[in-house]
Amino acid sequence: MTDVFVDSFVYSLGERKIHVNETAAAGRLISSAQDLESAGFRWHHVCEPGTTAYDLAKAVTGELADSDRLGDVDAIVYATCLPLNGNAGDPREWERTRDVKYLMDFPASRLQADFGLHNAVVIGLNQQACTAMLGSVRLAQAMLQVERDWNRVLCVTADRFPEGAKYEQAYNLISDGAAACVVSRQPAAFRLVTVHQITNGGLGQAGDDETVGSYFAYTHRLVRETLERAGLTAADLDWVVTQNTNDKAWQILARLLGVGFEKVFFSSMPDVGHVISADNMVNLAELLATGQVCPGQRIALIMAGFGLNWQCVILEATEAVATAAARD
Amino acid sequence: MRGTTLITGADGYLGRRLTAALLADGDDDLILAVRAKDNAELTAKQDRLARQLGQDAVGRTRVTAADLSLDDALLDIDTRAITRIVHAAAVTRFNVERDIAQRVNVDGTVRLRAFAARCDNLQRLAMLSTLYAAGRRRGDIHEERFDDAGFVNHYEWSKWAAEDHVLDAVGDLPVSVLRLPTLIADDDSGQVTQYNAFHNTLKLFYYGLLSLLPGDGTTPLSLATATFTTSAVTRLLDPAIAGGIYHICPDPADTATLDQLIDIAFTVFERDAGFRRRGLIRPLPCDQESFEDLLDAADLLRGGPIHQSLSSVSPFAHQLYLPKTFRNDALRAAWPGYAAPDPIALAETTCIRLIESKWGRRTQETP
Repeated sequence: MTDVFVDSFVYSLGERKIHVNETAAAGRLISSAQDLESAGFRWHHVCEPGTTAYDLAKAVTGELADSDRLGDVDAIVYATCLPLNGNAGDPREWERTRDVKYLMDFPASRLQADFGLHNAVVIGLNQQACTAMLGSVRLAQAMLQVERDWNRVLCVTADRFPEGAKYEQAYNLISDGAAACVVSRQPAAFRLVTVHQITNGGLGQAGDDETVGSYFAYTHRLVRETLERAGLTAADLDWVVTQNTNDKAWQILARLLGVGFEKVFFSSMPDVGHVISADNMVNLAELLATGQVCPGQRIALIMAGFGLNWQCVILEATEAVATAAARD
Repeated sequence: MRGTTLITGADGYLGRRLTAALLADGDDDLILAVRAKDNAELTAKQDRLARQLGQDAVGRTRVTAADLSLDDALLDIDTRAITRIVHAAAVTRFNVERDIAQRVNVDGTVRLRAFAARCDNLQRLAMLSTLYAAGRRRGDIHEERFDDAGFVNHYEWSKWAAEDHVLDAVGDLPVSVLRLPTLIADDDSGQVTQYNAFHNTLKLFYYGLLSLLPGDGTTPLSLATATFTTSAVTRLLDPAIAGGIYHICPDPADTATLDQLIDIAFTVFERDAGFRRRGLIRPLPCDQESFEDLLDAADLLRGGPIHQSLSSVSPFAHQLYLPKTFRNDALRAAWPGYAAPDPIALAETTCIRLIESKWGRRTQETP
């Protein structure tokens, strides 16, 4: 099997940084601000009314392009948590004309054109909820295994909540945001060790409490199965980069998994909350920036999302990680 | 000789069944003490008890209002007539608040003991307590007076404190302390009409609201039916049987562990098509620290059912980390040939009935 590598982790957030108290006062939360603060949330980022999810995707792709990290891409996997963010068309045009082409204004196609990625095919991924970014990495790896003449896949995720939405899901404070990374055959900062996904469609319409209730058993199973897939044990993990959720959750899971809590990294939580499917990228970028990741270290990226879906990626840092850390 | 038995909490889950059993198996007159804030409530309770007890009760029972948290409770009862007292009145919620536990369970028992001391013809003062008056003890728990070993909730503490007051009267009064197990069903059919931490925990698992299992899997859990418990209490009220402390529970060898009970519960759940569709997996055992973290986290989920359900489960869950085996040698000696329900079979039928009734919701919806 061909080795596949991942790096160039970038992210973008909604322009308005708002304290949880302000959002609560605006009636855009379900829980109280006090409860969310006690869970570890403080600030979140919300798009201005005129900013679309595609604008966020464009921002992260632009950052890669501006820093010469985009390269000659063979495919774009464009992931959204909310299916409505997979259409960049104006819903008013659809309402006015009843022409369904306004429901098929695909942001991945726009991205390809806007960045001149003419050789890239586009693939949309919109039924994996918050796990979609990790799903896009998995898809990229699989495609690079079978498409012999492909070298680079751009993975992008971008979501913003619709105007008027509550910025809380399953007791998590939400930020609008996007993230991107490049999956390639060329050696880069991380070798992709394995990816694993569990879907339980029987909980596809789970309520918030069912989502929380199933979190521990399924996340534990996800990590256990991922490690088995890679022939590893929990002791082989140097870092666990999580999504931003109640800070007690990973204290519990770390014990259940036998991973020291000092290895669990979710530093961005107070500042950004749960950035839909971009949490891992935000936290991984922050971990890299600390300079603590050394060649040979293994990092598990873990996300849970509606559907219900759980996905885990294990990366192994290469010699290039220090360069990437300095650059990113 | 025909006597008079006073039953406190006679309209409660167990008090009602004890009353029926004593009407069926004995010839005592019964004074049924119930809490009632006014005449209207007393009349309603009288009517309900009359309906539930049927013809057996006519001419042999008298329902009287008695709030043992008040000093004037039981003043209207002729103490000379009383030959037996069964003290069944109590708040039995594991999450009972300290002040309520003190007022009802402890102070109420103190008042009852004072009343008993005025009953010149008293042959038996039986206090219904709980096995968990043992508190934080581990290992073999014998039928003996406990000292204060610490408690995981106010309910346990209050029953221990109440026992202590009653046992102080040994020598002056014919005292029995009957420590009861966790009642999970009315009878061997598995029907449930009173829900407690056992049922609420299973409910959390069945509905996918909890995927962590608190406790040490080897912890034995003494479970029984109301029918078995009522039979045991009735037996131990016989003046021919010595007073003292009795553990009303299955033999240690016939007591299921937490792991066994979870296994049978999920075996039943997994037969249910709705449960299978939801793909819920068996819970992960977790240590006490993790369970405490879970409770802290759940405290922030105020709007949802997890918070509400866990708050009723957690005061008992701490006991699951304190394995203890309740010895019942005194019970066995006093009741040769007794047969406690098979715990696995009982748990199985109970889980089946819980699913059928949706934890009582379906029963309540039926006119």
